[in-house]
Amino acid sequence: MLTLTSLRETPLHRLPAGWKLAALAAASLWLFTLQSGAALGVTICATGAVYLWLGRDIAARGIALLRPLWPFLAVLGLWHLWIGDMAAGIFLAGRMLCAVALANLVTMTTQLEALIAVLTRLLAPTARIGLQPQVLALSVALVIRFTPVLMDKTAQLMQAWRARGGGRANWRIVLPVALIALDDADHVADALRARGGIVPQNGLRPE
Amino acid sequence: MEKNVTYIALFAALIAVLGLVPQITLATGVPITAQSLGVMLCGTVLGARRGALAVLLFVALVALGLPLLSGGRGGLGVFASPTVGFVLGFPVAAFVTGWIVEKWRGQIGLVASVAAFVGGVLVLYAFGITGMAIVLGKSWPAASVLVAAYIPGDLIKTVLAGLITQGLARLRPHAVLSRA
Amino acid sequence: MPATSSAPATDVAPEICLTAAGYGVAGKPILTDLTLRLTEARIGIVGYNGAGKTTLLRLIAGLIAPTGGTVRVSDLDPFRDRKGLVHRLGILFQNPDHQIIFPTVLEEISFGLRQQGQDSPSARKAAEAILARFGRSDWGPAPVTALSQGQRHFLCLMSVLAMNPATILLDEPFAGLDLPTIARLRRHLAALPQQLITITHDPATLAGYDRILWLMQGRVHADGGAEVLEQYSAEMTRLGEQDADTHLSA
Repeated sequence: MLTLTSLRETPLHRLPAGWKLAALAAASLWLFTLQSGAALGVTICATGAVYLWLGRDIAARGIALLRPLWPFLAVLGLWHLWIGDMAAGIFLAGRMLCAVALANLVTMTTQLEALIAVLTRLLAPTARIGLQPQVLALSVALVIRFTPVLMDKTAQLMQAWRARGGGRANWRIVLPVALIALDDADHVADALRARGGIVPQNGLRPE
Repeated sequence: MEKNVTYIALFAALIAVLGLVPQITLATGVPITAQSLGVMLCGTVLGARRGALAVLLFVALVALGLPLLSGGRGGLGVFASPTVGFVLGFPVAAFVTGWIVEKWRGQIGLVASVAAFVGGVLVLYAFGITGMAIVLGKSWPAASVLVAAYIPGDLIKTVLAGLITQGLARLRPHAVLSRA
Repeated sequence: MPATSSAPATDVAPEICLTAAGYGVAGKPILTDLTLRLTEARIGIVGYNGAGKTTLLRLIAGLIAPTGGTVRVSDLDPFRDRKGLVHRLGILFQNPDHQIIFPTVLEEISFGLRQQGQDSPSARKAAEAILARFGRSDWGPAPVTALSQGQRHFLCLMSVLAMNPATILLDEPFAGLDLPTIARLRRHLAALPQQLITITHDPATLAGYDRILWLMQGRVHADGGAEVLEQYSAEMTRLGEQDADTHLSA
């Protein structure tokens, strides 16, 4: 399964994931509290500089990842044109773009495994209320494994649909897709049991 | 135990697939993304706790950088963009939907539709509009105007969620855990 | 083929005992009142579609709990204590796609070893060893989706063998495979020191087996040696010569 992490190693890849996430949290907080346009301008320039320092491919990917935001930019533009306060509109748009770009930067430069490790560590205290970190890791692995499988099977269903002259698949396709998900869940549960199953570390078996 | 984990994981995958599959059309021919339908189904089929966990797992994977949101979006940037409220509201929506299906033992299709409306529309939009108001710096009523265009499609999805849940209850009664 | 060099199982065959065991879904019985002691090295299970063969295997493997009677493997309840039997029982599903969980060959094989309590590096090493033993070292990093149906089946067998269980349960191990693959897989299986319990429609698969169980409508119809296999083959031939599925309406 494809992730959004850049395959080319950059200096940012080597920083510990926890630090990057903490820095991102601090930067986002800063962005949403600052009031002056000048401060925002400096932050945006700094973000842009980091992207360019990492390389042109990263910068290009970064811009591509911002593209889904254009409808919101259009809405902000029209709105503030209407109320005649373009400066405020530009400020809000810049803040949004910068916050998203910073977050994407962490996503692009951090391996999935490193992020899962941080998540597991953050959730470690929840072991006391019954959430086991190794169960979480297994669940993550299962979703990553079965999303493309389910995707393929759905594509096959849609082809079968079209082969029988159904035209474009409509909502009725969702029922068989959900059935596949349920049946796959049963099969995987069997496959896990066949190899010893999931036993929580404290040795107690819920259910 | 194994079943809980695999149902939660496979339904998280189902939400992703419903958001990534292109071109599902409604009866009227309007293309929709079925992602929020997936969230509703998590609640109606898996129930409150497992449904919310499935959606939470999905949201966590989006945060970890997998491009699983409709249109292939993902990563931490999602949580700074105007749609953040909807993504954070997903697990709560599934929980409320599932809770209603568990507590109200009426005819499953009808109950699932009503539950999907309360969880997947009322609760979800409350979160979604709030997020949009904060990120775009607008008032709550102004932000709700921006999302109004999507409400009719989501109302249709609540009906579909009911029909699909009813179909699953008929074909795989053991698998509809919200009524187990 | 280096298959014959496979290491012997660490344990003697566990004793599999069913006492008045039954299984039903929603009041409909699938297996009824089975009392069996399965200790022979090679046991075949035959019967029509829907006779309850796969259900029996799933019962022994602890994937499902009996709705009546008891199932014991080495004095353990396989459903309650699946983890305790992970060294004793391995099962090969009929459909490899229902068995494979992980995206790459090495991960798939190592998972079972991790389940047996090995740490990550040693599980990886053992997984590489089993691939080398069957001359498939190049498969390690390969995505499972790149393998053919027969290769995936073989991967499942290697995953089970890597865990070195004393008994291996096989559900239609050759269904849907091409002839050369069947011949190769059959040789691998014949050379194994483990106890094998095999479900099949094909009498040829069971040649040389110590014991044959013929299930019919969830009960043991016949239980014995090669003579049961002959009766079963004769019956299959006779039914095949009839035009209609008259035995179904009986």
